[in-house]
Amino acid sequence: MTKLQTFWGSFRMSLLHFFADPQWIIPNIIAPFIFTVVALVLFRNVSGSVALYAVLGGGMMGMWGNTLYGSGFALAFDRWNGTIEYVLATPSRLVWIIAGRSASNAVLGLVNALAIVAVVVLAYGSMFAVANPLLFLLALILTLASLSALGVVFCSAFLLSRSAQVMTNGLEMPIYVASGSMFPIALLPLWSHPLSLSLGPTWGIDAMRYAADTSYTGLGFGYWTDLLVLFASTIAYLAIGFWLFMVVEKKVRRDATLTEY
Amino acid sequence: MATRPEKAITVSELRRTYHTSKGIFRKSRQVVEAVKGISFDVEFGELFGLVGPNGAGKTTTIKMLTTLLTPTSGTSKVLGYDIVRDVVEIRRRIGIIFGGERGLYYRVSGRENLRYFADLYGVPLSKRDKRISELLEMVGLSDRADDKVESYSRGMKQRLHIAKGLVNDPELVFMDEPTIGLDPQAARDTRAMIKQLVQKGKTILLTTHYMFEADELCRRIGVISNGEIVALDTPDGLKRFVKDISVIEVEAFGVVDADITALRQRSEVKTVSANLDGERQTVRIQTPKGSEFIPEVTKILSGAKIFDIRTKEPTLEDAYLRLVT
Amino acid sequence: MGMTLGDWPPYRIFWSSAKFAFKALFSWLRPAMWLTQLLVLPLFQMAFFVYLSRFVNPTATGVAFIAVGNALQVASFSSIFAVCNLTSEEKWQGTLTPLIVTPASRFPLFVGRAMFQILNGMATIVVGFFYASMVFGVDMSRTDFLALAVVILVTCLAMTGFGLMLGSVGLYMRTAMIIANIFLFIGLLICGVNFPVTVLPTWLQPLSYAIPMTYGTIAARAAVQGSSVTELAPVILQEIGAGAGSIFVGYLLFLGFEALARRRGAFEEF
Repeated sequence: MTKLQTFWGSFRMSLLHFFADPQWIIPNIIAPFIFTVVALVLFRNVSGSVALYAVLGGGMMGMWGNTLYGSGFALAFDRWNGTIEYVLATPSRLVWIIAGRSASNAVLGLVNALAIVAVVVLAYGSMFAVANPLLFLLALILTLASLSALGVVFCSAFLLSRSAQVMTNGLEMPIYVASGSMFPIALLPLWSHPLSLSLGPTWGIDAMRYAADTSYTGLGFGYWTDLLVLFASTIAYLAIGFWLFMVVEKKVRRDATLTEY
Repeated sequence: MATRPEKAITVSELRRTYHTSKGIFRKSRQVVEAVKGISFDVEFGELFGLVGPNGAGKTTTIKMLTTLLTPTSGTSKVLGYDIVRDVVEIRRRIGIIFGGERGLYYRVSGRENLRYFADLYGVPLSKRDKRISELLEMVGLSDRADDKVESYSRGMKQRLHIAKGLVNDPELVFMDEPTIGLDPQAARDTRAMIKQLVQKGKTILLTTHYMFEADELCRRIGVISNGEIVALDTPDGLKRFVKDISVIEVEAFGVVDADITALRQRSEVKTVSANLDGERQTVRIQTPKGSEFIPEVTKILSGAKIFDIRTKEPTLEDAYLRLVT
Repeated sequence: MGMTLGDWPPYRIFWSSAKFAFKALFSWLRPAMWLTQLLVLPLFQMAFFVYLSRFVNPTATGVAFIAVGNALQVASFSSIFAVCNLTSEEKWQGTLTPLIVTPASRFPLFVGRAMFQILNGMATIVVGFFYASMVFGVDMSRTDFLALAVVILVTCLAMTGFGLMLGSVGLYMRTAMIIANIFLFIGLLICGVNFPVTVLPTWLQPLSYAIPMTYGTIAARAAVQGSSVTELAPVILQEIGAGAGSIFVGYLLFLGFEALARRRGAFEEF
């Protein structure tokens, strides 16, 4: 049960840090918010549940951004702080420490998303209805889990290479495009579809749209298939993350590079 | 681990080499041998000191023993566990206290810092909060426990470091320069706490470059220089290295580097250490000749104004200087 | 080096300031990051809005409008984000005080830091147009390249001036990061990048016209259609005006900050 204790302790510490400086969430909201408003303007002559698409997309982008930044910086923060050696010296496996942080970042991503939704709804005045709130919520929770797990993979990948910040900046835009946050991935070139489909949250947002809009067709596999893939992707990411962290831990002790930045 | 091991720490021919590369476009690789094959033991309940100049390999050694670094070659057992293979077992049972400002989460309270590390060490939930309160009491931070660490003074942060290093009730504690940067009172309190820990039966491996501290606290001292152990003995044993010499201590003004060089060139002089900054300069000359040599010293330093010149008994610091220069 | 900063002629201060900003940018970035910003970000930002517009309106003119607009907007990272953060970088790194206490002539110092970002911005836009035509099929057969080159140059200069002004505003605030973030992307909404400014509410439009890039997008599209420099002169002059105005305001703010900080005796405590 110490794994759970580590996970929860890490989750809690990460949230405490957020509450110590909540204003740092603002930069993470700006881009998705502006993109959402641009989308709403572009959609202005289209009929249908436009607001839903744009807002859902914006919220998802907010969650993605937080996951990426949070993961990329998860251990960088410890490096700057000088706490990394102490964290490494504990008997807890690094992967559980990062999983806790990643989960807290995903949850904060939800706060991001809600903030974007609130501002857009207030500014634009357009409300949208969700046809099936319970199914929507289930899809949302599983998407958060998938994002957290993906965050663990990112974090370990970033640790194996020093350019975490480069990758964080570099990945944000491509993921907004590839995950079909605001437009169907069918529009993208065929060769990119496998990439898009390998991202759990692509299926998650598809499921959320099914739950929100009964006339939605989307990827074409239906809500429950989406959820299944989402769940499977989470497991897959965790497995990859586990393995990568084992590699990281060995490398860190061999090369002693983690403490430099 | 069926039986209790004989020694708390055993180190055998431990070696650690670093590879560094410089430059962006034309990388040049350098090989640095930080630790060149050291061997020593630490007994249970002992306060063992590891002293040496900066860059001697103390920190590298401690990092290897605390499983933060794998050695390039050699073996070592901590509490009977191998430092390469049994990492988790060792980490559970040891505590780590590295000095300095960093290493704490500033934006949360002291109590939260302790709680986090207690969780990472897997301290059972039933014991955790009680132990945290006891530790805070022990280091005198109970009334500031719920304030953010960024509001703590340097001394308070160090006390929190100590509490953090004991959160898992370790039987062996590693301390790397625990009193560095502390004001005299805080340093004294820290040393008192360290002695208390030994009285409670804990084993401690301490690094420091304050010789008087090592002399006061340690039962045995290993002197490390340039990656190798050049001496290992009790403080009195080490002082025997310099029993044949006296120290001439000079307080002066106007001594220049050329004077020091001239002193060093004399065959009767073993070592010279000098602090030439400021108005009151001190020069310590180790020589077997004792007070006989004073006229020579006065002659060599004739260009300076000498306030005081006297012979002294050699200290551990002198022994140390003798060993590392 | 013998001479102190106060003895240097203005052009030397300008260039050394620029070199410092370049080094400062790279001291914590690596070339890989610069290349990401130059090559990767424009492609995907453009892709996002192009695909979004294809979803809404699959006509070629719709795509061309957005692609050209975004090709220009991608310079914001250099001219706005990087420049705006230059000053706060200096604040945090503690290099602002040494700069301010020199008797060096202020204006070249103020502007020189942005030199590299101007060049960087132009390179980014060129890459953007490359993507627009090669990847997203924008028809550039009728383009007046001289006119387009002038538009790109003026836009970068003017937007960098705008960035310097934002940086000066940032000196008064605890963090320029939020301003930098907002203005990095706001162009997408109000500078006629993805849709004409006329679509926006009337109360918002004056803000659009205060930003040089708004004129840039109009001029760039016209140049791609074949308009010459002389035909575009009025718009280009308006853009220069907006840029000059920003630099002027920014410079005043910079001097004002310096005076305020000197009175209070603290530069880095803001």
